[in-house]
This record gives sequence, C-alpha cells and structure tokens, in this order.
Amino acid sequence: MGHGRRTLLSLMPNDFETLETLGGEDEVSLLEILDHVLNSGVVIHGSLVISLAGVDLVYLGLNVVLASVETALSNLQIEEKRRQK
Amino acid sequence: MSRILVYCGFRHAPEISLPAVGVTGAPVQLTSLDDLCLLWSDVEWPFDPQRMQKSAVEFHEVVLQVFKQTAVIPFRLLSVFDDQQAFMTFAAENHERFLQDLDRLKDFVQMECVIYPKPSETPVDRSSGKAYLEQKAIALRSSEASVQATQDALAHLSREVRIREGKNGTRIFVLVDRGLESDFRQAVTAVPIPTHLSRRVSGPWPAAEFLSGQVKIPQVDGVAGAK
Repeated sequence: MGHGRRTLLSLMPNDFETLETLGGEDEVSLLEILDHVLNSGVVIHGSLVISLAGVDLVYLGLNVVLASVETALSNLQIEEKRRQK
Repeated sequence: MSRILVYCGFRHAPEISLPAVGVTGAPVQLTSLDDLCLLWSDVEWPFDPQRMQKSAVEFHEVVLQVFKQTAVIPFRLLSVFDDQQAFMTFAAENHERFLQDLDRLKDFVQMECVIYPKPSETPVDRSSGKAYLEQKAIALRSSEASVQATQDALAHLSREVRIREGKNGTRIFVLVDRGLESDFRQAVTAVPIPTHLSRRVSGPWPAAEFLSGQVKIPQVDGVAGAK
C-alpha cells in the first residue's frame, strides 16, 4: 500500500451504545474507543478517507488526519447526544 | 487481498496471557524481536466499512487484554503492512526505540480529562461584535482557569502532562502511576467547574500521548510514517 493511497473508513452515527469493557466506573463509550484506536498510537499509513453519514471527508497527510479525526468525532458526539434526547 | 494489521507492542514476559482472536475473528499472532513482542493479524483489506465500529472494538479488546497486564505501545487501527517482510523490516529498524519507550512508560497509564463548553448553555450575544468578543474572551478565561485548577489538583499524581487545545475544548493527558486511576478521578471531580463547562474523565489508556516522536511516527524505509 503506497503513500498517498486512501483507505475508506465509514463512521455512521448509529449504534453508539455504551460498552462496559473495563467494568464498573471505567465505562468506555464506543466514541472514546474509536477516538483512541484511530487517533492514538503508532502511525504507519499516510492518508485515509472518513465517510460520515454519507459525506466523504477527505484527509490527505498525517498531520491533517491527526487534527481532522478529532473534528469528525466531535460531530459524531453531537449526533450521539441528539439521539439520546 | 490481505494485509498485516499490528495491534500493539510490549516487552516480553512469560506470564502475560494473549488474546486468541482479533479483528474479524482473525487469529492473533506474536512476533518477537529481542524482548519486543508485537501482536498482529493477517486481515482482509480494506476493512468492510459496514463493520468498522465492530472492528474498532475488536482491535481495542486485543490491545486492552495486554494493557491490563503490562505497558503497551498501541498501533492505530489503520496501521497495516503490505506483507510479512515489510512488517519484519519495520520491527528490525524500530525495536530498540520501542523497547526504550516501553521501559520509560512501564509503570504508568494515561488518564484523560476533557473540559469543554456545554453546547447551547449560554445564548450567543450577537448584539454587537464587541459584545460577542467579550463573551468569547470571558468563556476562554473561564476555561483556562478550569484547566489550570485541574492541573494544580493533579500535580501530586502527574508524572507528565500534555495539553491539547481543540475546537471543542481542552484535553488534558496525564501520565499516572498504574494503580492510581481512582485517585486521579477523585482529584479531578473535587475541582469545581463552572456551569457553562462540562468535563469528561476517561482512562486508563495506554500512554500513547507520551510516546517519543520517533515511535509515534516511525521511519519506514527512510520515509516517516508511510511506506
């Protein structure tokens, strides 16, 4: 997989159930898991595309990805809150 | 087509129990180089977008099982190698740096506190540009004061702190001794917070925010972060 090739990742704002993965007060939401597995740790690849609710958000380059995933996730968070109301 | 998906690295210890399956039910495999262990799976690539969330949870669970027992260096979900050879080349080039970071972080976990404005809590004053800017400045000062108060309350627990400002609030990452997670939570929640702000605490997480730069975005075939 070469530098610059994109990977399609679709994050639909549904199924934001809370997962008890650590137990007790250490409840972790799916949103937080997504944030960490996508946004924390060692990076090998250079680019990806996130599709949010059918709209492709294109990110090119590691630095942009680092900043933009956070934005995408905050949008999901807003959607999650809306669904909970 | 298949790719090598790497979950995490950790220092070898015989007592550590390993997960059997990972993303999409693929067997989790172990590669060791000196004392560095790397967990990975051979997975179909690209991932099925329809089960992306499930894949994320499966990935997280593999990392979590090891992290409960020892310090890990997590990879990102989309970190894949073309083949075994590329993966082994990466491991050979980077294992010493990985082991150095694992030794540095072995007794710690990462805790997080996010302080962010409550949405729509205060109506935006659009009567004039000046009023709007003043309102923003007050909110900013209030948020900065809360972040500082939180940092002060955590000073006795913090081995290292990183702060990241985002459009939607301030994230405080704190390196805490493993086992002091409850103390962290208590210290944070004891800090009063203005009504227009919210706070979310999470952790323990692997200390990914505190990895050295060369581990976080390693050199692969002479190119940072990509091959």
